[in-house]
Amino acid sequence: MKPLQPQNEYIEQHIKQHGRRLDHEERKRKRIAREGHKIAKDAQTLKGWRGKQFAQKRYKEKVAMKKKIKAHQESKVKGPTEPLENNDEALPTYLLDRQQTNTAKAISSSIKQKRLEKADKFSVPLPKVRGISEEEMFKVIKTGSKKSKAWKRMITKHTFVGEGFTRRPVKMERIIRPTALRQKKANVTHPELGVTVFLPILSVKKNPQSPMYTQMGVLTKGTIIEVNVSELGMVTAGGKVVWGKYAQITNEPDRDGCVNAVLLV
Amino acid sequence: MQLTWKDIPTVPESNDLLDIVLNRTQRKTPTVIRAGFKITRIRAFYMRKVKFTAEGFEEKFQDLIGGFPNINDVHPFHRDLMDTLYEKNHYKVSLAAVSRAKTLIEQVSRDYVRLLKFGQSLFQCKQLKRAALGRMATIVKKLKDPLAYLEQVRQHLGRLPSIDPNTRTLLICGYPNVGKSSFLKCITKADVEVQPYAFTTKSLYVGHFDYKYLRFQAIDTPGILDRPTEEMNNIEMQSIYAIAHLRSTVLYFMDISEQCGFSIEDQVKLFHSIKPLFANKSVLIVINKTDILKPEDLSQERQDLIQEMIQGNSSIEIMTTSCHEEDNVMTVRNKACEKLLASRIEQKLKGTARVNNVLNKIHVSRPTPRDDIKREAYIPNAAKALTKYDVNDPNRRKLARDIEEENGGAGVYNVNLKDAYLLEDEDWKQDKMPEILDGRNVYDFLDPDIAAKLQALEEEEEKLEAEGFYDSDEDFDSENEEVQEIQEKAKWIRDKQQMMINSARNRKALKNGGTMPRSKLTKSFNELEEHLDSLGHDTSTLVNKKNAKLSANRYKESGADVVYNETGPSYKKQPAYKTDRLNDGVSDGSLRSKTDRLAKLQRRERNREARQGEGDRHATASLPKHLFSGKRGVGKTDRR
Repeated sequence: MKPLQPQNEYIEQHIKQHGRRLDHEERKRKRIAREGHKIAKDAQTLKGWRGKQFAQKRYKEKVAMKKKIKAHQESKVKGPTEPLENNDEALPTYLLDRQQTNTAKAISSSIKQKRLEKADKFSVPLPKVRGISEEEMFKVIKTGSKKSKAWKRMITKHTFVGEGFTRRPVKMERIIRPTALRQKKANVTHPELGVTVFLPILSVKKNPQSPMYTQMGVLTKGTIIEVNVSELGMVTAGGKVVWGKYAQITNEPDRDGCVNAVLLV
Repeated sequence: MQLTWKDIPTVPESNDLLDIVLNRTQRKTPTVIRAGFKITRIRAFYMRKVKFTAEGFEEKFQDLIGGFPNINDVHPFHRDLMDTLYEKNHYKVSLAAVSRAKTLIEQVSRDYVRLLKFGQSLFQCKQLKRAALGRMATIVKKLKDPLAYLEQVRQHLGRLPSIDPNTRTLLICGYPNVGKSSFLKCITKADVEVQPYAFTTKSLYVGHFDYKYLRFQAIDTPGILDRPTEEMNNIEMQSIYAIAHLRSTVLYFMDISEQCGFSIEDQVKLFHSIKPLFANKSVLIVINKTDILKPEDLSQERQDLIQEMIQGNSSIEIMTTSCHEEDNVMTVRNKACEKLLASRIEQKLKGTARVNNVLNKIHVSRPTPRDDIKREAYIPNAAKALTKYDVNDPNRRKLARDIEEENGGAGVYNVNLKDAYLLEDEDWKQDKMPEILDGRNVYDFLDPDIAAKLQALEEEEEKLEAEGFYDSDEDFDSENEEVQEIQEKAKWIRDKQQMMINSARNRKALKNGGTMPRSKLTKSFNELEEHLDSLGHDTSTLVNKKNAKLSANRYKESGADVVYNETGPSYKKQPAYKTDRLNDGVSDGSLRSKTDRLAKLQRRERNREARQGEGDRHATASLPKHLFSGKRGVGKTDRR
């Protein structure tokens, strides 16, 4: 009869029956003891991609270790780290005015705050953008049977094309927006909530490069778009549900293949 | 149907999977690209990278999904076992997550390849590739938990014993610690752990043994406690599923010494509560540990309790054994095997499908009797008179076997085939017949009717002789010369015909050359004349005609002609047999001028276009200088 194949938890069973090899504990201890040497050797000898991976892993480990040590040390410090407030004990005079701010100071700061807010209305997260030349934006397409005519242009950037858009007859179409480069949705981040949602684009409000690009719906870094935020369930001060909201594109869509934007709130 | 899953490929962790695939991409795709290359080449370079990576992931995922069994396709026993061990829904969700990741990666690769087709620069293409690989990596990283779970399942699945649900099976069940594993150890070679505490066995174990030259499997199950199935834990559920799904003989083990920690009443109760699972199965109650306490030593009420178990079902039997002392173990085993075989045969017979399958193919037709006459089977009288053969009868018939015995038995005696020959004369049977005579095969010259034929020939000869057929006559001298002359002529004609045929054949034979059309062959007048002569025609008229034509066609110069026809056709002396193609068929001057005009008109168009006509012959230089001189650069030999 053929001996049976091991079944179920045969490894544990074997250890239970026969024990481990006699030097198991010693080997284990030694391996742990040699670990530092092994890491040092790896750090010195590993090259290329593996070296990079090793360094990354090591870095992470070190960060984790430092954090742990810090937490450990903090736990050892006796007493609370911050002085308790309102503990009904008399404070020395030199500490008294530390908590209360000067009224004059408060007023000035509030004015500053207001001014900032006013300016904020017109500020956007990305105030400056790189200029894009027409050569970069458009690709000339040669037409005619001898390819001698060069009045057609193809937009090389991603574009937003409205829902009801119909192309002109191919013969007449001067500017082509390739279907492959059309975008309908954007990853929009709510800066205060810190969440990112995939929302449909409603329109292109302004392209900082040129009003012509705005008209054509070109999506480049810094473009202001209108997005459909009905999914977020935002409510106006008057209690109405907000439908569309502006957002600014924060990445170069033609490099990432997607549109990332930050909501303007 | 698959029973073991020992060869599922290992499932790497998500990080490892990422490393494997990206490493492969790095190794197996080209790595050098420069901004100066053609943009199509740059695009293709990066598209290849994206596609290759996606393919790598897809391949890995496909292997993974294909390796794991589809939980709906396996045997119900295995399905339930897997459900309890791995949680069916969790298993399905994990595999679904993997397959979804596969489709997502396909989608990402498609999208980015499409975008790469519009890449304008190396940097842009590179960024797009980076984004694509990054998104694939994100998808894979999200698979961390499913992959870890699947790896565990793989390891456990590989260590499951291979239980065949359809083979002959003994199933050992009962309370914990009643001696199930030790029984399995007694009857098979299985390496099962036996310990003196409850729930030593936490999963199913299989052992094999032979009985009556048949292979049986015995399955040891974990102990069951008497409680509703909803409250049972995974360990107990394994036993329940084994009992429910396997066609087997169930050995219900009991410990009446109560060393296991459960009273006899409890054990009887458990038997009754799992009784519904024993439907269509033969059951044997085995009372174990008789070395400690025998059933006879029990109090009467308790004995009654045990006897109560088998009431109402005659097929259940009680047996006693002691695994510790190996007492009565083999009888229990054999009994169980007998019961199992009997029940299996019974079930086979019960299945009407099998019987019907055979019956469907058989049809016995009985003709309806047309009258009252009895038609009995015809038995020849010789057969009737034959006495029944009996070996012990001294007057029995002599068989070929007996003859063989008489002549030295098997190996010595040779059957004489000549005895069975059917010949005209019995005496000929044993005659020796030569096969070869004078170097010839006798059978090739055998003719059975040779005597009759010879007879007929001789008679005919005699008859002819009597009629005077062979008498000679000498009266054909007179006609002899005449006949000879005719024969000579005929011979000449035959020769002539043969010669003509041969010459025609010679003419027709191609002999590696082309055939000239008959119309293009020129034959001189002399040849014609000779031929006609040979045929016996008179050629004098023909010769006269020819001479007249020659004299008529000769150009006679006159003064007026010289003045008139200065630019006209030059009257060079032409051979007589050539036709004047310029003037042929032109009867008078008006026709002449008309043909001239027409020819001019035809030529005009061609001349206007200045086409190269057939007349424009040009021999190109065999060694054109511009193609064969100067230094060789990057161009080809034929275009410089």
